[in-house]
Amino acid sequence: MEIDRLDGRKANQLRPLACSRNILNRAHGSASWTQGDTKVLVAVYGPKAGTKKNENPEKACIEVIWKPKSGQIGKLEREYEMIVKRTLQSICILNINPNTTTSVIVQVINDDGAVSFTLLPCAINAACAALVDAGIPLKHLAVAICCCLADSGYIILDPTKLEEQSMKAYAYLVFPNSILSVRPEGSLKVQGEPMEHGVITSGTQGAMSVDDYLNCLERGRAATAKMSTVLRRNLQPQIAGDLSKAG
Amino acid sequence: METKPSGSPTSLVDQFVMPGDEALDLSTMSNQTIKLGRSLRQDGDVLSVMKAGTFKFSKPNKYWVESSQKRYEPHAGDSVLGIVVDSKADNFLVDIKGPALAFLPVLAFEGGTRRNIPKFEAGTLIYVRVVKANPGMNPELSCTDASGKAAEFGQLKDGYMFESSTGLSRMLLSSPTCPVLDALGKKLSFEIAVGLNGRVWVNATSPSTVIVVANGIMNSEFKSGVQQRGMVEKLLQNLKLST
Repeated sequence: MEIDRLDGRKANQLRPLACSRNILNRAHGSASWTQGDTKVLVAVYGPKAGTKKNENPEKACIEVIWKPKSGQIGKLEREYEMIVKRTLQSICILNINPNTTTSVIVQVINDDGAVSFTLLPCAINAACAALVDAGIPLKHLAVAICCCLADSGYIILDPTKLEEQSMKAYAYLVFPNSILSVRPEGSLKVQGEPMEHGVITSGTQGAMSVDDYLNCLERGRAATAKMSTVLRRNLQPQIAGDLSKAG
Repeated sequence: METKPSGSPTSLVDQFVMPGDEALDLSTMSNQTIKLGRSLRQDGDVLSVMKAGTFKFSKPNKYWVESSQKRYEPHAGDSVLGIVVDSKADNFLVDIKGPALAFLPVLAFEGGTRRNIPKFEAGTLIYVRVVKANPGMNPELSCTDASGKAAEFGQLKDGYMFESSTGLSRMLLSSPTCPVLDALGKKLSFEIAVGLNGRVWVNATSPSTVIVVANGIMNSEFKSGVQQRGMVEKLLQNLKLST
């Protein structure tokens, strides 16, 4: 059965994506990510010498500061900070610059109305692009997507605020991005599954059955290929004509 | 950039790669010794990329990823511009825009002895060479070249220092001379020091020359050779109109 979405999208269709890098003059790396009306700007500073008190000095430390669009900073922001920090820790190579701190500051520019669930995936995508812009060594990139479950059991991707209000449950999922490889396709798989199918982070709200959750995973994976291409295209630097012929 | 329709590309040399891309399959080249340059790491049987950039190869066996950042990753043998932050008994602590402060031994100068230690205050700009840059340790610097001569290293007095990206520094240092420096050098006389860590120092007799050179360099990052020369022409015209 088809669900009519308010803005005419199909169930698997994402909102228009836009990504730009190197926006802020003073930050060492910056990126903004826009999905429909939700827009997040992330700045990265670092790596700088020294770690915080409770952190392991043999690894690089990532510090996330979440700035909401309005209102005071409370427990919700702390939770977002922790989730983004754990996600970024799993994609950064932490033993390259031990005893350093990289600060990631997430600023919510626009949010579909009040706090929406798609804010976190948008922030993770932007944070990933900003880390690439700053040149922090990474194992691979992460793409995040939000899906929600309607009462009828139908799953739709990338909901807007209005759609979220009528949903039974939602989940946000973070997957590794699709990579270019010189190896033939067959040898890319780890235990029979391509690497893009791994889940880095997953969070849910509301009650959903296990089958519904696995369904969400499937839909999410299908959509991340498109997001990976957007990320790849937008992170390419502006190339001057004869820079590569120098020397 | 093209998207490969099906199958995998045979080689990613000179292509834009992102972290996670597998740039080289080592199982097909088991007899060769390969030198790994910047931003590549070995992950079992493949070389995977750590930073976004262009994957490059130079004969006979060196691979690296060329990228441009605002921060610097210290590498032995690079010449950089550092700013003295503090001085200890044995070392000067120097900021070189890297993840850790670098140490400049107090005796690492030509003819340096305990009696004639230079007095560098905090904020002094110096042109130094990176001697050692091991992971996890503070980099070590020196104001002499490999054979012990001074070779223009040391304090840079007067002039104007501005920050750039590491990619722009590499372009300024490339040979043959990059178009913007060539065009500026034909009409103006100035002195320039370029650090691979993204700092550039310019000095000239008149301040307007310094400003024109600095603006020309800062605007030339994403321009092609022809565009750079055109831009320098315009700047020089403005300079003539105002003097």
